[in-house]
Amino acid sequence: MDVGEGSSQPNHASSSTREETIRIGDTVLLKIPSGDIRTIKLEGNSNINLGKFGSFPSSELAGQSYGLTYEIVDKKLKVLPPRPMQEVEDTEATNELINDGQYVQPLTVEEIETLKKAGLHASEIIKKQIEQHANYSLKTEYSKEKYKKRKEAKYSKSFSVLEPTMFNVCEYWFNKDQNRLRDIRPDSLAQILNLANVRPGGRYLAVDDASGVLVSGILDRLGGSGRLITICDIDSPPAYPVMVHMNFRKEVTSVMSSLNWATADEEYTPIIASVDPPAGKFKSDGQRTRLNKRKFASDALMQTREELFAGEYDGLLIASQYDPFSIIEKLYPYLGGSASIVVHSPHVQVVTSLQTQLRDRPGYLGPTVTEGFLRRYQVLPGRTHPMMNASGSGGFILHVIKIYDDPTASSVMVHRHRKKAKQSSEGPSEKDVEQPAAIVVDATGDDVEMRTSES
Amino acid sequence: MWSTAREVAAGDVVIAWMTRDIIQPLLITPGKDLNTKYGYYRHSDLIGVPYGSKVRSRNGKGFFHLLRPTPELWTLALPHRTQILYLADIAFVEAWLDLKPGSKVIEAGTGSGSFSHSVARTVGPTGHLWSYEFHEARASKAREEFTRHGMDDIVTLTHRNVCKDGFTVTDTVDAVFLDLPAPWDAIGHAKNALRKDRITRICCFSPCMEQVLRTVSALNEAGFTEITMYETLLRPHQVESTPPLTPISVVSDRLKQSEARREEKRLRQIANARAGAERRAKRKAEEEAANEKDGKRIKSDGEGESDPVPPEVQAQDERAATDGMRLDGAADVAAASPIRAASSAPVEDATTTEGSEPQKITLSKTFAEVRGHTSYLTFAVLLPAAVREVAATATSVTVSAESTPPPPPATKESKMTDVQSGVEST
Repeated sequence: MDVGEGSSQPNHASSSTREETIRIGDTVLLKIPSGDIRTIKLEGNSNINLGKFGSFPSSELAGQSYGLTYEIVDKKLKVLPPRPMQEVEDTEATNELINDGQYVQPLTVEEIETLKKAGLHASEIIKKQIEQHANYSLKTEYSKEKYKKRKEAKYSKSFSVLEPTMFNVCEYWFNKDQNRLRDIRPDSLAQILNLANVRPGGRYLAVDDASGVLVSGILDRLGGSGRLITICDIDSPPAYPVMVHMNFRKEVTSVMSSLNWATADEEYTPIIASVDPPAGKFKSDGQRTRLNKRKFASDALMQTREELFAGEYDGLLIASQYDPFSIIEKLYPYLGGSASIVVHSPHVQVVTSLQTQLRDRPGYLGPTVTEGFLRRYQVLPGRTHPMMNASGSGGFILHVIKIYDDPTASSVMVHRHRKKAKQSSEGPSEKDVEQPAAIVVDATGDDVEMRTSES
Repeated sequence: MWSTAREVAAGDVVIAWMTRDIIQPLLITPGKDLNTKYGYYRHSDLIGVPYGSKVRSRNGKGFFHLLRPTPELWTLALPHRTQILYLADIAFVEAWLDLKPGSKVIEAGTGSGSFSHSVARTVGPTGHLWSYEFHEARASKAREEFTRHGMDDIVTLTHRNVCKDGFTVTDTVDAVFLDLPAPWDAIGHAKNALRKDRITRICCFSPCMEQVLRTVSALNEAGFTEITMYETLLRPHQVESTPPLTPISVVSDRLKQSEARREEKRLRQIANARAGAERRAKRKAEEEAANEKDGKRIKSDGEGESDPVPPEVQAQDERAATDGMRLDGAADVAAASPIRAASSAPVEDATTTEGSEPQKITLSKTFAEVRGHTSYLTFAVLLPAAVREVAATATSVTVSAESTPPPPPATKESKMTDVQSGVEST
């Protein structure tokens, strides 16, 4: 019984948040054989220099798909095919007879340089090194693999263009400078975006002091549909440097507007310079352009303010150096009922204190503090194990739901307690009246139709 | 998908949050009642109520929170038909697979639909999810659920064993997610379903390492690259607000005070004993005086009867000893008291001002029992067909491109990337 077969026709009109191919003007992340990642802005008519790995004109990359690996051959790029993993045979070899500091490589640095200058391919140089290596044959197959890998990182004239997925960009920034991302690791970002229910068409408020990783994540998930208002702590439009690597289409970023903590204050009237020419008419075209520009900016600001104050936002996302409680209290009125509030912090104390502050306040439901755990594995045939180096922390997340309180509503516990008090005053024999905790457990039993909880 | 209106309407699916542990979905049906330990409600009374409201029971006893469904709440509320995926895994898989508005995705199997709802939310109306479930009853249940949740435009559910029969689309999707007991049997089919003109991604979700190893070799043989594997979990923190931790000076003081009290008690006992002895001695003297008069000896009835040392003498000795001690003790307390006053002051504040504004600190720790493992997430990418064909022709080996892996490059210096996602470096 097959129902609703989807179209089996290729339908590639995807509304991606970036262009399908690399374009001049993009900022690309190039991974070089050493494992380092270089960030390069592609300018027309310029050369991209990767040092000892070679150089090539930027036009070579334009029009290419993201995510491919290239070899630089005579300033031209040659796409390298994907390479499958190699099974490594188990042999009898051990390092029993291999001693450190032994003279094993007769090939000198100078000789290698000469070979390189002669234009010998990296693989040929490595082959020569292996031939000359005194102990190579003693090595285990695993060790040989590692040796070749190390040499390739040194001589190979190749690189890959990282596909600027939110995951890759976040990871690049996290590895580069975790502090600037306020510890937002790719898994933390993913959880924040899901907990805040970021979806195309949704309307969100964000406070991002994490270099724009949060803003980028939201824009990526909005895909040009919906609204994002960010609030920053400077009087000029905020720089969200992470966004640069996302290479967003214009439609994607156009759903975002920014206010700061002064202009986002309903009590405050922003001081806006006059947009009318002082003499009643424009003195010059320059003045006209300038004043028109100013008018456009102030109109946009006032409009964004009104939009914020109109409220009913679907979620509030915070990764800020400022007191999260003060941020939440400030923006709370602009959230709709059932909106998610998600706060990330590198410090557990910040979110746990916040949890204590929100716990007993009406209007906040179920504040929860969680910490992510992420472990990556090397998966090579016969060599699968967790990575030796791992990130220590991706920060802490608090999630809470905005609710409309009803102060007249009273807990069913209150009534049971009263009943109990009454009963015990009548006679202490009524032992079957449960304690609150017992009631919660009991309720799963009968008249509430419950899921059977697994795990 | 679910209603985005401000207020609840008939036919909406809402989430009824009773307690943190009791969260249930509710299809608003006028005429129906909701009767729970947490109160009695009529569905018709809920219509027009803003989402996010705390709703009072009709009889005034109890309340619940009327929430707008989200995939995350749904994961907590859904009826379990199978083991389900939770937030940490769902979020991570979506991120790695680069799901976003417009993405075309395959999922197998549907299971309880925990992952499906999240994907449907993320890809939105411009994207699509093809979901496959081989268990007929579960497929029907899921289909009803998707319809009830207004997801028919976004999700196509098919009852099918994809390991045997493959998927219903070819050269179409951006990403495939396999939550199957034997994902390796579906990898070839997945490759057919993935679009060929750009990079695409796959994730296999398996609880056992043995499954991972088989999956990895199947992915490798099918020409997938950048094979990597992750494990991710959430550690919930238990937060409590408590008075500041007590410094040991307070403990020390308490001990000293109790010691002083004990000593006081002892001295009181001694004083009593002495007074008794004196009384007895007086009585004895009187008796003796009388006896001498009578010319008769009568034994005393007191406690001190068998004492080798007469009570008077013992009392004297004790007094001498304790006098010395008492002096020492007094000196001790005098010396300690200024320090005590200073160090215990803040603690006393915290405890004595309990009523007005108690000084509290926030402590947190992870729960004693947490989920320790869900599944391993094996990821890989598939490069565009054009690039993969280069591989096939470069080595001039005739292979059927779809089912056989590209042969190893001639150089034999292959290395495997365990480097971060991104791209295979050479």
